Amino acid sequence: MNYFELFGLEAEFSLDLNELSSAYQALQKTVHPDRFAHSSSQEQLLSVQKSAEINDAFNLLKQPITRGEYILKLRGTELASEQQTLQDVDFLMEQMELHEMLGDIKHASDVDAALFAAQETLDVQSQHLWQQFEQLLTDDNQQNNHKAAELLRKLKFYKKLQIELERIEDALFDD
Amino acid sequence: MALLQIAEPGQSTVPHQHRLAAGIDLGTTNSLVASVKSGLAETLLDTDEQDILPSIVSYQADGVLVGQRAKQFAITDPENTIVSVKRLIGRSLADITSKYPTLPYKFCGDQQHPSLDTRRGEINPVQVSAEILSTLVARATSALGGELEGVVITVPAYFDDAQRQSTKDAATLAGVTVLRLLNEPTAAAVAYGLDSKQEGVIAVYDLGGGTFDISILRLTQGVFEVLATGGDSALGGDDFDNALVAHLLAQANLSRPLSSTMERQVLNQACAAKETLSAAPSATVNLTLEDGNEYVGTINRTTFDGLIKALIAKTLRSCRRSIKDAGVSVSDICEVVMVGGSTRIPLVRSEVSQYFNRQALTSIDPDKVVAIGAAIQADVLAGNKPDSDLLLLDVIPLSLGLETMGGLVEKVISRNTTIPVAKAQEFTTFKDGQTAMAIHVLQGERELVDDCRSLARFELRGIPPMTAGAAHIRVTFKVDADGLLSVSAMEKSSGVESSIEVKPSFGLDEDDIIKMLKDSMTNAKEDMAARMLKEQQVEAARVYENVGAAIAADGDKLLTTDELSAINESLENLLTTSQTSEIAKIEKAIEQVDKITAAFAERRMDASIRTALAGHSVDEV
Repeated sequence: MNYFELFGLEAEFSLDLNELSSAYQALQKTVHPDRFAHSSSQEQLLSVQKSAEINDAFNLLKQPITRGEYILKLRGTELASEQQTLQDVDFLMEQMELHEMLGDIKHASDVDAALFAAQETLDVQSQHLWQQFEQLLTDDNQQNNHKAAELLRKLKFYKKLQIELERIEDALFDD
Repeated sequence: MALLQIAEPGQSTVPHQHRLAAGIDLGTTNSLVASVKSGLAETLLDTDEQDILPSIVSYQADGVLVGQRAKQFAITDPENTIVSVKRLIGRSLADITSKYPTLPYKFCGDQQHPSLDTRRGEINPVQVSAEILSTLVARATSALGGELEGVVITVPAYFDDAQRQSTKDAATLAGVTVLRLLNEPTAAAVAYGLDSKQEGVIAVYDLGGGTFDISILRLTQGVFEVLATGGDSALGGDDFDNALVAHLLAQANLSRPLSSTMERQVLNQACAAKETLSAAPSATVNLTLEDGNEYVGTINRTTFDGLIKALIAKTLRSCRRSIKDAGVSVSDICEVVMVGGSTRIPLVRSEVSQYFNRQALTSIDPDKVVAIGAAIQADVLAGNKPDSDLLLLDVIPLSLGLETMGGLVEKVISRNTTIPVAKAQEFTTFKDGQTAMAIHVLQGERELVDDCRSLARFELRGIPPMTAGAAHIRVTFKVDADGLLSVSAMEKSSGVESSIEVKPSFGLDEDDIIKMLKDSMTNAKEDMAARMLKEQQVEAARVYENVGAAIAADGDKLLTTDELSAINESLENLLTTSQTSEIAKIEKAIEQVDKITAAFAERRMDASIRTALAGHSVDEV
């Protein structure tokens, strides 16, 4: 049973998060260890295992990157490992510029405006990649899936930039 | 002792049998016990009609005193009177002395397992907590009129693994079954949420005597889903006291080091002044100095506010981070619940209300709300509310990881992951022919090992010699519903599997606990044996009852005739064996039933998942 089936959902990228969430809650209401607090240790163990599996599945499906990765995996396309370098030189150059943009925030005269602008830039660019990604997934063939996997790798770079941006924001507020 | 009664399969669970259970708020300053009586959760009173038990234990020559009776010795006999033991539990000596340099106790034991040297010998923090728990359990047993099925004990959401494990050890030592360790803010949310049938995102701001927690939860149809939690397990009302103590010392021209009696006196006066200032604009302070002279001073609220403002700001920074972790914004939060005695301070209330842009909720007594929530959860866990919708989905507060080359931490489970959770990660060898691997388990958010909390170290041995990087070591982290971690490691490439469980580097190991249990009993051997026998018999009764109920419910659908008769045979055996007093045989009979019903249990779980989904889709249409 794959994770989509576990929640009674179609294996589609654009799933309804509310539906996922309510299926998740219905399942946890059945298997959660709290339902087995006065059961035998065997049932308790089984419940912990099932509950953990459902948590894992929910966590994976609710985030776009891991959900996309999982769909590609179900289609037989694995993402190249992180160590393997991305060949797209233009993209890597852009990434370096974006890193510099984040690094410059704390020196900006208007820090709030710089934070806001940086967030906007990351959002617009990653949104663009997501659209391409969804488009590619609509037709399940090997070539498309490989392209989609490549896009997902790029989106992981944006995810890292997002984390970096939040770290910068935290540091600015904590001072 | 009387034999336990066991019903026939199928007629096992008596429908309206009420199982006794209680919720315990094991606080830094005060502890409480509550229970659900005729549908209502309320705190239980002691013989003096008090529900609050000061978390103070005094080791006197003629006995161990707990609570109010111990409090009187706090000033006169500070070395033997342990106050705020929650700040010490599950911590190393270095941790304790750096954070609380002026504690009046004589520490002994080793770095990892600090104890306190009292006139009744070496006492460790787990034992002190066990005394408080025993007192509360005894109160509940007499108030409810029977032995408890178990208790829910609350812990700060931000407690790490060692602190949680130590709290559970204290319960073991006190001889009470822990149904669940429940996070304090979650307990408070339950107390409020069930009351108001609220739906939406709520924030729980919990500032107690020694800890600060912030939790962001989403409430939907009885499900309390914790989205994020944060805080500081060493920030609370005690720090307000300390800030006030420093101020008073300066005012009274006193300088440290002071005698431990003097330290306690100043602290008590500071604490009293703080409480007065919650209701009055100024408070008077009286000190009897070492030379016999009296010092009288006053402090007004503005001065006090100035002393604590930075501490409150620190809590609001944690709030901001948790709101972000939860993926919501301040405007999404529809309710803010205040918990803990320190939220009585007017400046705390006003700053929090201002930050969240809404009046904070204080309608349930902030001292009692956690115990009440725990009692509601205990009632459900004991099985008294089979149709209840209540479900708590909690998270781990701090990331868990492993040490890798170069003193770096590789995260295996990140903070705010919903529990229970199991995650595995693969590692490999660094050198050719390496046959052992040191596994170092850490908790915390930082990248360097030295900045994280060391939880455990163990070694995986017997790896077949291979070239560097060829071995596949699979390390599995499991966190149960109590938030407790177990780690195992296994070498899998060669097909040779060896695995090992974690030994805690802090707190106590199993042998310590058994030894202390023995020490605490007068007729050690017989009592231990009797207790172990009783535990096995209870488990046997539970297995017998559960399997019987399972057969009655699903036996005809999910079992073949052969399977059914095999199960029945093992149950017969269990029933006969459990009436003897042979612990090992009972244990074996339970194992046998477990083994023979394993497939049945799985089938039932899968069937219930299908039913849940089916019911769910019907709801959707």
